[in-house]
Amino acid sequence: MASNPLTSHVLDTATGKPAVGIPVTLSKFENDVWRQISRKWAFQDTANRLRWTGWKSDIIEEFTPSKYKLTFETLAYYEGRGEKTFYPYIDVIFEIERSEEHYHVPILLSAYGYSTYRGS
Amino acid sequence: MASNYNPLTSHVLDTAIGRPAVGVSITLSKYEGNGWREISKMLTNADGRVGNLISSEEFTPSRFKLAFDTLAYYESRGEKTFYPYIDVVFEIERPEEHYHVPILLSAFGYSTYRGS
Repeated sequence: MASNPLTSHVLDTATGKPAVGIPVTLSKFENDVWRQISRKWAFQDTANRLRWTGWKSDIIEEFTPSKYKLTFETLAYYEGRGEKTFYPYIDVIFEIERSEEHYHVPILLSAYGYSTYRGS
Repeated sequence: MASNYNPLTSHVLDTAIGRPAVGVSITLSKYEGNGWREISKMLTNADGRVGNLISSEEFTPSRFKLAFDTLAYYESRGEKTFYPYIDVVFEIERPEEHYHVPILLSAFGYSTYRGS
């Protein structure tokens, strides 16, 4: 298994800056239900990138081929900025087949649209 | 009373091939009380579109979810995808407006936006 198998990133494309402070929950689909593995808050590191602390250690035991979900709690982010958004939260559901690879699952975010892609 | 006929529409465009994604199953649900209630389930037409997802009577200020069965679409094309399905959860505040909630889809990435 890769040592840091899963990372994410939220870029606010309306401001051109990382969206700091969004809680992100990682869940795994097991026995027909979603089980929460980890909930973290994004922070900005010294290189001005968005990271989650402890993400590696939280998920390294769990990262087997499976269906996973990242839930980004965007409503609080926009409320904190005094802005409205169309999306109270964003779920990205993805399937991991090769747990030895690294997966980057970021969001490019704005209040009325978002995109995501599988990065490496 | 003016009625907002067909207040919610969707569209799936397969950006890898530059064509509509035909036959994608889309389920609309509404958040009520403490759970999601399924309102309708439709397949995208030859233009990749669905309309008639909800009546104006049911389209009240609320939280809604569109679930797109992308796995079945890619399986029918003999292709793999990163996303077994796509959920888009959105909040309707002004049901007198028209909302278009499309997906620009590829096997390893997608985007969505609020259209009108």
